[in-house]
Amino acid sequence: MSNETKKLTVKAFRFNKDTDYLPYYDTFEMEVSKDELILDVMNRIKWEHDGSFSYRRSCRHGICGSCAVKVNGKATLACKDRAFDLVDIFGEELIIDPQDKRRAYKDMVIDKADFWKKYDSVQPYLVADIDENPTEENLVSIEENEKIDEADLCIQCGACYYSCPAVQVNPNFTGPAALVKAWRFNADVRDNAHDERLETLQELGSGMWDCVKCFECAEACPKEINPIDKITKLHQQTFEKGLARNNVAVRHAVGFKWSIQKHGILDEGELVRYSEGNIGVMKHIPEAIAMFKKGKIVMPWNMPKSKNLEEIQKLVEITSTAKFGRR
Amino acid sequence: MSIPIHKYDVVIVGAGLAGCAAAREAAAAGLSVCVLTKLHPLRSHSGAAQGGINAAFSDEDSTELHEFDTVKGSDYLGDQDAIRLMCEGAPETIRWAEKMGAVFSRSEDGKIAQRPFGGQSSPRACYAKDRTGLTLLHTIFEQADRDGVEFKDEYYVADIIYKDGKVNGVFAYNLVDNEPMIFNAKAVMFATGGYGRAFRINSNAHANTGDALSIVARHGLPLEDMEFVQFHPTGIAGSGVLISEAARGEGGKLFNSKGERFMEKYAPNKLELASRDVVSRAITQEILEGRGCGENKDHVHIDLTHLGADLINSKLPELRDLAITFLGQDMIEEPISIAATAHYSMGGIPCDMDGHVRLDTKNFVDGFYAAGECACVSVHGANRLGANSVLEALFFGRHVGQSIVADLKANKIDFKEANPSDVKAVMDRLEAIKTGNGDERIPELRNELQDGMTENAGVFRTEKSLLVQRENLKDLKARFQNVRIDDKSKIYNTDLQEAVELSHMIDFSAFIVEGAILRKESRGAHYREEYQTRDDENFLKHTMTYMDKDGNLSTEYMDVVLGNHELAERTY
Repeated sequence: MSNETKKLTVKAFRFNKDTDYLPYYDTFEMEVSKDELILDVMNRIKWEHDGSFSYRRSCRHGICGSCAVKVNGKATLACKDRAFDLVDIFGEELIIDPQDKRRAYKDMVIDKADFWKKYDSVQPYLVADIDENPTEENLVSIEENEKIDEADLCIQCGACYYSCPAVQVNPNFTGPAALVKAWRFNADVRDNAHDERLETLQELGSGMWDCVKCFECAEACPKEINPIDKITKLHQQTFEKGLARNNVAVRHAVGFKWSIQKHGILDEGELVRYSEGNIGVMKHIPEAIAMFKKGKIVMPWNMPKSKNLEEIQKLVEITSTAKFGRR
Repeated sequence: MSIPIHKYDVVIVGAGLAGCAAAREAAAAGLSVCVLTKLHPLRSHSGAAQGGINAAFSDEDSTELHEFDTVKGSDYLGDQDAIRLMCEGAPETIRWAEKMGAVFSRSEDGKIAQRPFGGQSSPRACYAKDRTGLTLLHTIFEQADRDGVEFKDEYYVADIIYKDGKVNGVFAYNLVDNEPMIFNAKAVMFATGGYGRAFRINSNAHANTGDALSIVARHGLPLEDMEFVQFHPTGIAGSGVLISEAARGEGGKLFNSKGERFMEKYAPNKLELASRDVVSRAITQEILEGRGCGENKDHVHIDLTHLGADLINSKLPELRDLAITFLGQDMIEEPISIAATAHYSMGGIPCDMDGHVRLDTKNFVDGFYAAGECACVSVHGANRLGANSVLEALFFGRHVGQSIVADLKANKIDFKEANPSDVKAVMDRLEAIKTGNGDERIPELRNELQDGMTENAGVFRTEKSLLVQRENLKDLKARFQNVRIDDKSKIYNTDLQEAVELSHMIDFSAFIVEGAILRKESRGAHYREEYQTRDDENFLKHTMTYMDKDGNLSTEYMDVVLGNHELAERTY
């Protein structure tokens, strides 16, 4: 509503998989007003400069999930972020890229087959017998409903997925969006496939254990759903239900807890040995020596204990929901 | 010419609530079903529905009351048999969606919670915070997917194959690579949503270009009651993006620049909770008389601050977020700026209660169905009540799906082979747009269309403004023959798509204007300054308009189905 404007340099990623060998950038000098969103900027490129500029968009108010792109590397839902807010972070040159340049069909439009394949992999629907002519609804308490914890607000824009570094290095990893979807149903008291869903997510590499807990997904999500929190909840549910398998990821979680319980602080060397086994740990010897020299790890007999060990142990006891035996 | 032909029992165009619900029912009955959408199903505009979905659940409420409110809301133009069917089916429909997984907000006793909405005598809008459509769309899509419906996303349907009174399939092209194909089916259903994009200030998604209406009309089939376009009272000033009626339902108050709560003047009993057309006119009137707020005096304020942060955060979180994004206004701290915005199309493809598309006032097209916003059954008549659109889409989507199943099981529809020659005309049209080398550009023509429709065929209409717009549209249609698009490539050609969509908007807009010129009365959302009252003697009837090959329109009228609810003056 204000007349305040800024002169911006907008660089847009251009690529047509049919005609271009390599992508390139087009530069547009634009006078942008305070109320204009990144989507408005893209519309103006298309409508005022070059009609062949291509991107997905529909609802224009942050609910359909079509227009996710990256601006100066930051995951952005184009119809939710104002150009001025991004100028505050990045200055007056904005670079608009597709979510994943390697998957570009044309300009901002990418092939999302990988994203939807992950979506399909988590049984993304309520598993229950459907009463076709119900006269009463299921009774669900407000507390039970809240366990879903906004996971049903996910709009499948892919901002988290295409920002996840674990997906970058391991394309098989389920990734945050599909795991949020899994939690949406695994938190639902009406669903009958909680165990089944968790079982499929136990596979190393493809399942849910490759999350490196970097919080990129929480940072990227335009709906503030906090995917990593849902991933953690799936991990916890796995332990609560006693479905955890004896593998390196689970041992890493268990070993972490034991280390804290025993010392009040993390014994990094022992955690690696415990997670990967006596033989597996051998391949880390070069790192271990480097870490030892810097004082990051110590010999087992020198492992210090926290001053507040008793208090920490009590906390662990109170908060732990995991069901697994002492080693 | 070779062109792939895919065969199914049922082809559905549009993957919003109506399309997904119909597809789910047909697939669950064992039919082969393909749903074509120009978006991904989860991007459909049903997902943008915010406030709620009506059902008379509570002890204080009844189906009859829901019916009455809907009939009255429609300004008596709604067909009462269809309204009864929908209102009676509402409780089961919503519980069915709940059983399939919809995450409704709950009351203390664990039941589906309900809130008040405009024009309703009882709180009957079931809701999921302020994102009711999102959970419903996702849920129905998920279950359709679970039941084996084949979804083809990002396919643009550009025509129907219509021969000898029967629809045999559709012509579509894949947006990704522009490959054309035919989808040949026993039954074709249109569930393509609304057409708000024809107006400059609108609440609609970019996708809501009413393609189906013009596709149908170009075959000489009628469109019904097109003059009835709902303007929602509370669009965000400037952009028109919607602030749900839930804002008024939860207690929002409207103020003009003088700080007057002006609804006291226009609807002394219901105030802000009067019907949408009433509130939209009130807001527009205040602005026209110079009592608008802000530098340009082009909006009014809705004040929600008295509701408190807790209620706003728990029940209206998305709305708060929208006002912050678009206006920089936090509704917890200050009133927010709103004005009327084109929102919903009451009219559309005429069909009976079971979704059969009408050939004229008496006969039907074989193998052709419609449901949801693109259809006109008519349950909304001259004005739709809040939280009845999601109900219509879900109820009639499901019901028409079942009706298709019944028709196919009874062998009422034959499969007719489609031929490549059936789609030559549409392919030539597309090619002409792609290769056109004139000097008209799509964005300019579209701006002119949208500006003209908002100026001349908006909240207040006069004979003069409408005649101006009729000429504008003729001019735009002629100039469209002379367009040139920048994008000549085969890959994801949105330039071509926007051109085709514009041609659709120009065609159906002529129906809106024509119906409005001929309807010399004011009823529901249609308001004529020269004829400010309802005229039941002459206009208690549905408009049915047809377009011939040269673009000339002709209109006849169809009786309204009346019932228990007798005609009365409509006051709130």
